[in-house]
Amino acid sequence: MRDFRFLTPPTLPEALAMLADLGEDACVMAGGTALLLGMRQRMLSPDSVVSLHRLQALKGITVDPTQGLTIGALVRHADVARSPEVQRHYPMLADMAQRLANPQVRNRATIGGNLCYADPATDPPTCLIALDAEVTLVGPDGTRRLAMRDFAVDYYTTALEPGELLTTIHLPPPDTMRVGLYRRLLRTPAEHRPVASIALTLLRNGDLVSDARLVIGAATPAPQTMIRAQAFLEGRRLTPDTAAEAAALVAAEIAPLSDGRGDAAFRRQIAQVNTRRMLAELGGHDWRLE
Amino acid sequence: MTRHPISLTVNGEVITAEVRSAQLLSDFLRTELALTGTKRGCETGTCGACSVTMDGDVVKSCLCLAVQADGAVIETVEGLGTHDAPSALQRAFMEHGGLQCGYCTPGFLMVAKDLLSRNHDPDEAEIRAALSGNLCRCTGYQGIVDAIAAAAKELRHGH
Ligand SMILES: Cc1cc2nc3c(=O)[nH]c(=O)nc-3n(C[C@H](O)[C@H](O)[C@H](O)COP(=O)(O)OP(=O)(O)OC[C@H]3O[C@@H](n4cnc5c(N)ncnc54)[C@H](O)[C@@H]3O)c2cc1C
Repeated sequence: MRDFRFLTPPTLPEALAMLADLGEDACVMAGGTALLLGMRQRMLSPDSVVSLHRLQALKGITVDPTQGLTIGALVRHADVARSPEVQRHYPMLADMAQRLANPQVRNRATIGGNLCYADPATDPPTCLIALDAEVTLVGPDGTRRLAMRDFAVDYYTTALEPGELLTTIHLPPPDTMRVGLYRRLLRTPAEHRPVASIALTLLRNGDLVSDARLVIGAATPAPQTMIRAQAFLEGRRLTPDTAAEAAALVAAEIAPLSDGRGDAAFRRQIAQVNTRRMLAELGGHDWRLE
Repeated sequence: MTRHPISLTVNGEVITAEVRSAQLLSDFLRTELALTGTKRGCETGTCGACSVTMDGDVVKSCLCLAVQADGAVIETVEGLGTHDAPSALQRAFMEHGGLQCGYCTPGFLMVAKDLLSRNHDPDEAEIRAALSGNLCRCTGYQGIVDAIAAAAKELRHGH
């Protein structure tokens, strides 16, 4: 790896000024777990690395009954997993953070770095989109807030403009009526990264489904919302047949990725099978008996 | 501007040094401090041989720059025990076949120490989850799992 200037701005305005000044010669660093791999493979050779680690404005987790959950971009996966507030009010998120990567990576890697790198083979984007997350970006032209679904644009591509930083991730106040499940599928148990990730949340109206969110990532270049399956589920009872029909719609709708970790047909199949199982489970059916 | 002064605590000792910006923490520990217990394996965050404790949390020192450790408290395998006075965890690894060639062992000891510092009575699933970021090509892992369970028991009852 080539040497570089290592810069540690103490405040957010100073970090933004530095990035505006350095332009394309600089890379932003949070935990560094993704960036350092890119630099060591010489895919990136920045003259300067701007480390965010001193920026207090990007740290901390807060829960507020009206504002919901706010997570600073520099919060590590392990902090999300261990937060009693997240565990209590957003169990699906805490559970996801507890199982991604491996313990040493979770202790160093930040949630903001994960979202900004937009590597498809990750967990948080899929889960956060299904939880209706939003992100705040701060840049030379001010602050904007957008839906996580609009932030995750494509394969390794986000809505971040040059010189912009992700500062916070927001989740709406916990909805006790909404149930959810998150699944990560690995090719072998020794792998860390998912080959597919599925996030499902829905409201129960008696025993009828309403307002389902079904998002599939890792199998796709960027998380994909399964619009047809969501629409199909509206107002239906969660029977094994409904689960199978919704899963068939997923297989038709998904636009999977083919790479060294799995081809498109394999990913389409595991997305279908696991969607069916998750829907059956939420409907109280044991798919193992079918 | 590419050399940076850093000050950190390693195994209880305060160290000041000047490092190149691109030097990895794993490389700094091995070449500057001669703490060669920390191993370099895959250097892509996969194998866990370079695991050390940083401010109380186990991390992979190949995924961290030495400059990022400025101000940190680091513990390496050399801080666990000595040849003459191994820690309970180290003894358990010897007694339960927790190692063969030994290359991955420092990393496993550091994640085991991290686990036992948070959970005094881990079950087998918790032990295996804690080991999920470390690779061993000799033992088949069972000896390591047994060693950690035995060390946990000794630490609970022994002292
Ligand atoms: C061995 C291994 C296994 C892994 N397995 C998984 C897994 O199973 N699931 C999973 O989800 N992830 C996995 N990851 C990915 C991991 O989650 C990311 O590497 C990590 O979250 C990135 O965060 P970081 O703080 O290290 O980011 P950095 O490496 O510091 O930064 C990553 C990128 O984001 C940019 N950036 C960082 N923060 C900001 C910000 N606030 N604003 C703007 N840009 C920013 C940087 O410029 C850089 O381009 C794995 C990683 C490794 C090394």
